[in-house]
Amino acid sequence: MSVLNVHQILSGAGPYDAVTTQALAFRDLFKRWGWGGRDVAAEIDPRIGDRIAPLRTLWAGATRPDDVLLVHYSAYAPKLRAVLELPQRKLLISHNITPARWFWDHDPQAAVVCALGRKQLPEFAAAVDVAAGVSLYNARELGSETVIPILFDPAGLGAPQAQDPQAGPPTILFVGRLAPHKRQDAIIRAFELYRRRHAPGARLVLVGAPINWAYDAAMRELADELSPGHVTIESGLTREQLAARWRSAHAFVCLSEHEGFCIPLLEAFHFGVPVIARAIGGVPEVAGDAALLLAAQDDESVAAELLELAVADGELRAALRERGAARVAAYAPEPTARTLRGALESLAW
Amino acid sequence: MKPEQALAAARAAAAQRDDALAPGMSIQPTKRVSIEQLMEWANIEPDPDLMRSTRKLGAPITWVKRQLVHVMRQYLRELQSQQTRFNLNVLIRLAELEDRVVRLEERAAARPEAPAGPPPAGESPHGERA
Repeated sequence: MSVLNVHQILSGAGPYDAVTTQALAFRDLFKRWGWGGRDVAAEIDPRIGDRIAPLRTLWAGATRPDDVLLVHYSAYAPKLRAVLELPQRKLLISHNITPARWFWDHDPQAAVVCALGRKQLPEFAAAVDVAAGVSLYNARELGSETVIPILFDPAGLGAPQAQDPQAGPPTILFVGRLAPHKRQDAIIRAFELYRRRHAPGARLVLVGAPINWAYDAAMRELADELSPGHVTIESGLTREQLAARWRSAHAFVCLSEHEGFCIPLLEAFHFGVPVIARAIGGVPEVAGDAALLLAAQDDESVAAELLELAVADGELRAALRERGAARVAAYAPEPTARTLRGALESLAW
Repeated sequence: MKPEQALAAARAAAAQRDDALAPGMSIQPTKRVSIEQLMEWANIEPDPDLMRSTRKLGAPITWVKRQLVHVMRQYLRELQSQQTRFNLNVLIRLAELEDRVVRLEERAAARPEAPAGPPPAGESPHGERA
């Protein structure tokens, strides 16, 4: 067993950012293994405190040639280019960047950053010793087959409830950034069809921070127009509040057109919530046989009927719950930690 | 029902329905920024009140930062004027190009339909003069 110094390098770090959370979880693992190193980022939200240092500190002289650099690539960051010149061996983990085409009409600045990020990514993949993705879908975008999944620890989410949510009007949930590629507009349409056909009192809860206020306003307007009083859009929830949303949900629906991994799928499986999702990107790989997957040609009407089955068919719910538990086990922290360790140790001198 | 049967059952059930929602009820692109708005933005004028600290107990840090802005105002004005000059020149170029596209489209629309066949001598297939 080798003792390594692993320095993690992030494009940006913030207190609620999934990639930062992942890097900090990795750091906890490294400490448990007796490994050293530090975590730096090109852009830092001051609220993160001293857990992540500025990128420039990497050049401060404390790094040795036999250290390993772990680059978490999740956004365009021109400052990271200099890292590629460093002599240490490097592992890159791609957390996926959404293609710009979903953003041009709603957030052109985000579109530019996405376009530049995706353009820069192959350059990084070619310059590191090992390029990996958090899913096979992400890895193959880099021409790699190496997968280091998201370190998913369900214990941090709280315990699922033992039984289905109480009888009454069903609650349909989606968790994910309020963004064009997540297609919350399609979810609202599918939900409204489901509500009209099968469950007039049903509620839809959309949890996720919007990309900007204009998109948020447009989504709320659509919800009020189509399904007044039945749709709740919220963000900034605490961990406990999010867990409460999961425990009260009868089904999780995801009609995203792009997902590199989709952590909420695993959260849904953890809470025993049946999942209906569009089979795109990393979704089929993460969901396995535990979700009801829509094909590209299936419209919102089909999604509405799947919702009805997922909510009302007890046998189906039980089967999905059982399979979901197996998916959570497949993404348990221990095997992911072993994969990560193996990848990093392969880079040791 | 087994999960493998659900999609086929849902498709069959959906095929029986004729209650599709009215078309057009989806998220439209949010409003495009007008050229007038771009002109307003091009002339950058950062609000000093936006200079603040988001740290815990950030009030004294905010005060220090604002003092720094005040001390460095000559340099910051220079930066602003350079950036504004660039922004306005790009914007003027963009406005000229947009105007040119509109005029070309209008001219193309007004032109009678040309008969199919090879382009006139001296003109490339792309309409450029040799």
